[in-house]
Amino acid sequence: MFKRFMYILAAASFIFGGMAARAQDAGALLDLLVRKKIITDQEAEEVRAELTKETAATSAGKLKLSVPITELELYGDMRVRYEYRGGRTAGNTPVGEPGAGVAGLNDWQERERERYRLRIGLRGTLADDWFFGIRLETSNKRNSTNVTFGNDGTSGTPAVPNGPFAKDDDGLFIGQAYLGYKGFRDVTLTGGRMPNPIVTTLMVWDADINPEGAAEQWKHSFTFSFGESGLAQAEQSYSKDNKALAVSRPVAEPWKLKIDVFANFAQFVYDDSNPENPLGSRSTSGGRLKPNADAWLMAWQVGARFNFPKNLYFQLAPVLYNYTGNGDTFNGHFVGGSPFVTNSASLDLNQTGINSLLVLEIPAEFGFKIGELPVRIFSDFAVNFEADARATAAGFPDKGDQRYAYLIGAGIGQLKAKHDWQLQAFWMHNEQYSLDPNLIDSDFFDSRVNMEGVVVQAGYALSDAVIFNLSYGYGWRVDDGLGTGGFHDIAINPLDKYQLFQADLNVKF
Amino acid sequence: MKHIYLTLITILSLTGSAYADRLVIKGSDTLGAKLVPQLAEQFKAQHPGTTFDIAAEGSTTGIAAIIDGTAQIGMSSRRAKSSEIGAASAKGINMKPTIVAYDGIAVIVNAGNPVKSLTKKQVEQIFTGEVTDWSAVDGSGGKISIYTRNTSSGTYSDFKELAMKKRDYAPGSQKMAGNEQIASEVGRNPAGIGYVGMAYIKAGGVKVVSIDGATPSIQSVQNHSYPYWRPTFYYTNGEPGGIAKTFLDFTLSLVGQKIVNQVGFVPIK
Repeated sequence: MFKRFMYILAAASFIFGGMAARAQDAGALLDLLVRKKIITDQEAEEVRAELTKETAATSAGKLKLSVPITELELYGDMRVRYEYRGGRTAGNTPVGEPGAGVAGLNDWQERERERYRLRIGLRGTLADDWFFGIRLETSNKRNSTNVTFGNDGTSGTPAVPNGPFAKDDDGLFIGQAYLGYKGFRDVTLTGGRMPNPIVTTLMVWDADINPEGAAEQWKHSFTFSFGESGLAQAEQSYSKDNKALAVSRPVAEPWKLKIDVFANFAQFVYDDSNPENPLGSRSTSGGRLKPNADAWLMAWQVGARFNFPKNLYFQLAPVLYNYTGNGDTFNGHFVGGSPFVTNSASLDLNQTGINSLLVLEIPAEFGFKIGELPVRIFSDFAVNFEADARATAAGFPDKGDQRYAYLIGAGIGQLKAKHDWQLQAFWMHNEQYSLDPNLIDSDFFDSRVNMEGVVVQAGYALSDAVIFNLSYGYGWRVDDGLGTGGFHDIAINPLDKYQLFQADLNVKF
Repeated sequence: MKHIYLTLITILSLTGSAYADRLVIKGSDTLGAKLVPQLAEQFKAQHPGTTFDIAAEGSTTGIAAIIDGTAQIGMSSRRAKSSEIGAASAKGINMKPTIVAYDGIAVIVNAGNPVKSLTKKQVEQIFTGEVTDWSAVDGSGGKISIYTRNTSSGTYSDFKELAMKKRDYAPGSQKMAGNEQIASEVGRNPAGIGYVGMAYIKAGGVKVVSIDGATPSIQSVQNHSYPYWRPTFYYTNGEPGGIAKTFLDFTLSLVGQKIVNQVGFVPIK
């Protein structure tokens, strides 16, 4: 009877526990039953064959992964967004001949878009401490994964609309493709097109950017205990029926401090110059040899997170960025527009040059809880040590002091489970020569430097996986004597006023 | 009409005679090279008129033969994979395993090799190519030559699972058609290492190395203390009937199990 019971138990543990996931467990259980001589090898084989047959009929049983993969995770998210984005020209800049598409004074350009984005990823670990990740994303832009509904073009001659509902820009692109190694204690080595390994904020890095190159990360935790610790000595007490009971006397929790120390180093290929050694003599531009070295962005970061008792923490992670080489796309001197020429002429000035950037960024975050509500106060500060040279090259040698950027904000709540909510607000200020305009956030404020303003955001979790977000940002120019370097969606420079509203419905899976 | 009669007679003669007196057995070289032919000889002595068609080309072929219906018994030195069982189910075939003997996969080296024992980790390292020189495992030095079975062999996949954590064999490993070929090559090559079923460990020029101190023997395999032990199977489509059942019962009988022992396998009891 017992034997039959155990036999059924083995089968039940497999069948009701999720077929594929429990295959190993059931195999181990059968082996145990055989070792205990509760069932015979033959009986175990019959059960095993029957279970394998049932597993093979399940969806999971039909999937096959290659042997080196030890773990695989499918993940992603889908977002539907309504967005309003508008920018206003200044009231005192030169204007061109009035006409359609020509910016006037205090003239608004506004865009309303209904958009979606899809990101699907696979993360896997491999035998011997290797790992990999790939993620497909809509949109081929560096700093956006959005696709705009109805944004379809034409084809043929004469031009015929592809739409409505064409798939002109509904492609999937490789957003991430990386591999790495974790075989050394506390060290993670990654190569490829990867999630940003630098601890940062949107002031410096747009969250959609996945840099390409190599990264080396080290992290180690130290824990310190202060005060009383160890096992409490048992004390005698007595119950009502006078039987002696041994109970532990209450002891004070030791005060613990956990410090996560980390270092992140990155070598990103910013712009590939190809060929480095051309046939014949090197070509020239404006009487100068064209650069022929790849442009690299190097980052060195060290930081620490201090975790105090009662969910209190503080994190500081200074990072230094330096650019080497020239590349063939970003080697012009950054100008960033000008308030002394017409809008179209200002937009034509170089907005992307990466000359004279040696930037120190210091992101910081302080968190605690009010009851069950997490609260965080966050900030970022950046300074470009070569702002004088960048300003001079831009034709504004007296503006070398425009070298600072900072952000400070606070958030309360979290969006982890159904009915969770979160509120967040921050102030951001970035000066014309402080940051690389190609990397900064594309929403707040349209990938521009020389802007400052406020952003407020609210989110609510409709379910564990579905989140509704509202965001509003309002910004304006910092220095009226300069353009607003960089460009994204609003064709105005200088961007004197700017505002953005986004309503998002996100589904995570 | 004449054609129909002729066809019916042909079908009846094939199915009738084939499955009444003729037993088609396909699969494992480990079982089919020695054990099953000897069982068949003894069986024929008791059942005159029975003919055997035995093809020993690897366990994969035996399982495939049951799925395809081209054999009554599929010999296998490994368990059927879930993909094979799934494919069988889709065809309405019920893959029933019957353990007919135990086996120990012995790791063999050339008789002149000073290495007498290896750890499981060292075996894994050698066969995956992580260790390529005998000096790394207390040998006398020299590049290790690895001999494995070919990919259709049950022993090939069993050894991967039992000894190599399912990792791939070293790229330079040489694939042999059968146990005898592996024993022969290792016997000739002083730097050779391979694995064979217990029935083949007495081949000339080779010796068995112990694994974590255990050597393959009847006792260590029956009590499962030898790490590379395994059951060997007859696969049938559900409960066998007719001559297949008679032969299976014979294999499991005292007489059959005595032959199992004589050939070098481990009896099931």
